[in-house]
Amino acid sequence: MTEEQTKLAIENPKMSARDVKVFYGDKQAIKGVSIDVGMDHVTAFIGPSGCGKSTFLRTLNRMNDTVASARVEGEITLDGENIYAASMDVVQLRARVGMVFQKPNPFPKSIYENIAYGPRIHGLAAGKADMDVIVEKSLRRAGLWEEVKDRLTESGTALSGGQQQRLCIGRAIAVEPEVILMDEPCSALDPIATAKIEELIHELRGRYAIVIVTHNMQQAARVSQRTAFFHLGDLVEYGVTSDIFTNPRQERTKDYITGRYG
Amino acid sequence: MSATRTPTDWKSDIMQKRIAGRYAAERRFKFAGLFAVVLSASFLAFLLFTMMGNGLRGFTRTEIALKIDFPASPLLLDPAAITDESLNQANLPMVTDTVAKKLLGADADALLSPTAWISIRDAIKADPKILSRTETISVPASTGLDLAAKSNGSPEMEAAAARLKQQGVLSTGFNFSFLTASDGTDPTQVGIWGAFKGSLLTMIVTLLLSFPIGVATALYLEEYARKSWWTDIIEVSINNLAAVPSIIFGLLGLSIFLNLAHLPRSAALVGGMTLALMTMPVIVIAGRNAIKSVPPSIRDAALGIGASPVQVVFQHVLPLALPGILTGTIIGMARALGETAPLLMIGMRAFIATPPGGITDPATVLPVQIFLWSDEVSKGFVEKTSAAIIVLLAFLLAMNGLAIYLRNKFETRW
Ligand SMILES: Nc1ncnc2c1ncn2[C@@H]1O[C@H](COP(=O)(O)OP(=O)(O)OP(=O)(O)O)[C@@H](O)[C@H]1O
Ligand SMILES: [Mg+2]
Repeated sequence: MTEEQTKLAIENPKMSARDVKVFYGDKQAIKGVSIDVGMDHVTAFIGPSGCGKSTFLRTLNRMNDTVASARVEGEITLDGENIYAASMDVVQLRARVGMVFQKPNPFPKSIYENIAYGPRIHGLAAGKADMDVIVEKSLRRAGLWEEVKDRLTESGTALSGGQQQRLCIGRAIAVEPEVILMDEPCSALDPIATAKIEELIHELRGRYAIVIVTHNMQQAARVSQRTAFFHLGDLVEYGVTSDIFTNPRQERTKDYITGRYG
Repeated sequence: MSATRTPTDWKSDIMQKRIAGRYAAERRFKFAGLFAVVLSASFLAFLLFTMMGNGLRGFTRTEIALKIDFPASPLLLDPAAITDESLNQANLPMVTDTVAKKLLGADADALLSPTAWISIRDAIKADPKILSRTETISVPASTGLDLAAKSNGSPEMEAAAARLKQQGVLSTGFNFSFLTASDGTDPTQVGIWGAFKGSLLTMIVTLLLSFPIGVATALYLEEYARKSWWTDIIEVSINNLAAVPSIIFGLLGLSIFLNLAHLPRSAALVGGMTLALMTMPVIVIAGRNAIKSVPPSIRDAALGIGASPVQVVFQHVLPLALPGILTGTIIGMARALGETAPLLMIGMRAFIATPPGGITDPATVLPVQIFLWSDEVSKGFVEKTSAAIIVLLAFLLAMNGLAIYLRNKFETRW
C-alpha cells in the first residue's frame, strides 16, 4: 500500500481484504490486493479487460468456491470476521453479501417467484401477505414495480434485458444483504436502462455497502465515491473517485483513464 | 502480397457457377432428407398395414347360438345346489355335444370349440333360473370355423360356415374375452390380459428402480463427484453398459436375482429388476446431458442469493433438466417394453394361464407372449399374434404419449 492509500483506510470497514491472492491452477490472477470497502460509499472497480476485477469481486462472497481450479490466499473480513475461516457458513455469507451478475440471469420462473425465492429459503417472510409486501418493496426499490405490477405471474425471462437486470437487483436486495456486489450490471443495457440502474444505485447507497465493476469511466465517475484501478492482477491505485479521475497519482492509472491503453 | 486488390466481381462467370453449385447442393441435401423421411414413413405404414390386416381379425370371434332346452336335456345337475364344484362335475360337455349334434349335424364336434361347454357353465352360474326353460347361449366356434367365417378357411369349413349362416346361428363379433382372458391352449379362448398385466407390472418395477437410481447417479456424477480417474472409469462403464446386448443382462439377472438372491422365478419383480439394469445407463447418460445443459448462470444466480447446494440441485437444476431426463427415460422404457431375450433367461417364457396378482406371481409379458404364440402350430394363433402386436404397439404409443405430454408440461420457455 502506498501512503495515500493508507490514508484512505476506512474506519470500521464493512469488508476488508488483506494481501489477497487468487490462483487459477498455477496461474495467478490476483497478486496481493488489500482494500477496504465502507458502508457509506459506492466503490467502483475499473481496469482493462482480464485484469482480475471479476475474480476479486467473486472472492468477496466466495463465489470462486464454485470454480474447481480456483484457490484464494490472504484474508477477507466481513464485520471483522474472516469469511474464509472454517467456521464461516458460506450459504449465510452469500445471503449477507449479495451479487448481481454481468449477464442478467433471472430464474425461468414468475417475476413474483424470482423475488420471493430468496426470502423463502431464508425464512424471512411470516406468510403470504408478508411475502407480498417483501416482493412489492423489493421491486419498488429496484425501480421495476410500476412496469411489472400487473404481470407478476409472467416469466422473469420474458422481460427486456434492462428489466431483467433490475429484476436481478430486486432479487438480490429482497434478502436484505449488507453488501451488494455488481459485476458490470449495465454492460448489456441501453442508456435509458443504464440511467435507471445508476439512479437505483444512488438510492441504495447508505443502506448497503455497494461495489460495482464497470468499464465505463463516466459511469464510475457518476455513481461512485471511491474508485479502485486494477491492472494485471494488481491494485494500482485506490482513492476518492474525483481524485482518481482528475488527479491520478500513478502513471498507469493516468494512461488508462485517458484511454491510452485498455 | 499484392498491394492493390480489385473489388470482388460477384457477377463473373466463376462466381455465378459457384453460387449455382451452392444452390444445387442445398437442393440435393433437401431431397436426400425428404427421401429418408418418405422411406421410413412407408416402412412404418407397411408395418401398420399388415399388422392391422391380420391383427384386427384377431380381436373378433365367431360364435354359434345354441338353443338348449334344459328341462329336456340329459343334464344331471341339481338346480337347488349349484356350486362351482357341482357345475364342473356335471355332464355339461356331454350335454353340449348332444345338443350341438342335434342342431348342427354330425360334424358339430369340428364346428364347436372344445371348450364351448364353459360358456354354458358360465351362463348357468350367472343365472341358474335358465335351467327351467329353453335358452339360447352363444358359444365360441372352433378355430377352423372361426377362420372360415372370416373367409380364410378350408373348403369344408367354408361350406359349413355358409350353411350355419343360412341357419342364422353364426355371428362374428368383437371378442371381449381377448382383452380379459390370459394364455391358453385353444386359440379361440386365449386373451392378452395376463401378458398385458405382466408387462404393466414389469414396467412399473423397472421405472421405480431405474428412474430414481438413474437420476441420482446422473446428479451425483455431474454435481458432486470431483473429476478423477475414478469418475472416468464410472463414465466409461456406464456408456459401455448402455451398449451391452440385452441377453447378457438376462444372464446377469439369472445368476444374481434367481441363483444368488433366490427371488421368485418368472415374476414381474425379477423381470423389472433385470430390465432396470438395462434402462438405467440410458437414463444416466440422458440425465447427465440434461443436467450439463442447464446454464451455469442459473446455478450462480441461486448460489448468489444464498441457496444451499442441495437447494440449487433440487429447486433449479433438476426441474430444468427434467424434460431431457424424461426423454431419456422414454427411450429406455420403450426399449425395455419390447425386450424379450433377457426375460426368457429368467423364466418368463412359462405357460401362464392366470394373470399375475402381484409382482411376485409368475407372469409373462407382451413381447414374450407374442414370441410364444408365433411359435404355435395351430393356425388360429396367427391372427392372435398380430392382435397381440397391436396391443403392444398401442401400449407403447400410450406410454410415449404420456411421456411427451409430461415433457411438454415441464418444458421451460426461456
Ligand atoms: N475460471 C477461470 N479459470 C481460469 N482462469 C480464469 C478463470 N476466470 C478468469 N480467469 C483468468 O483470470 C484473469 C482475470 O479474469 P477476470 O474475469 O477476473 O477479469 P476481468 O477483469 O473481470 O475482465 P473483464 O473486464 O473482461 O470482465 C484472466 O486472465 C482470466 O483469463
Ligand atoms: Mg469481468
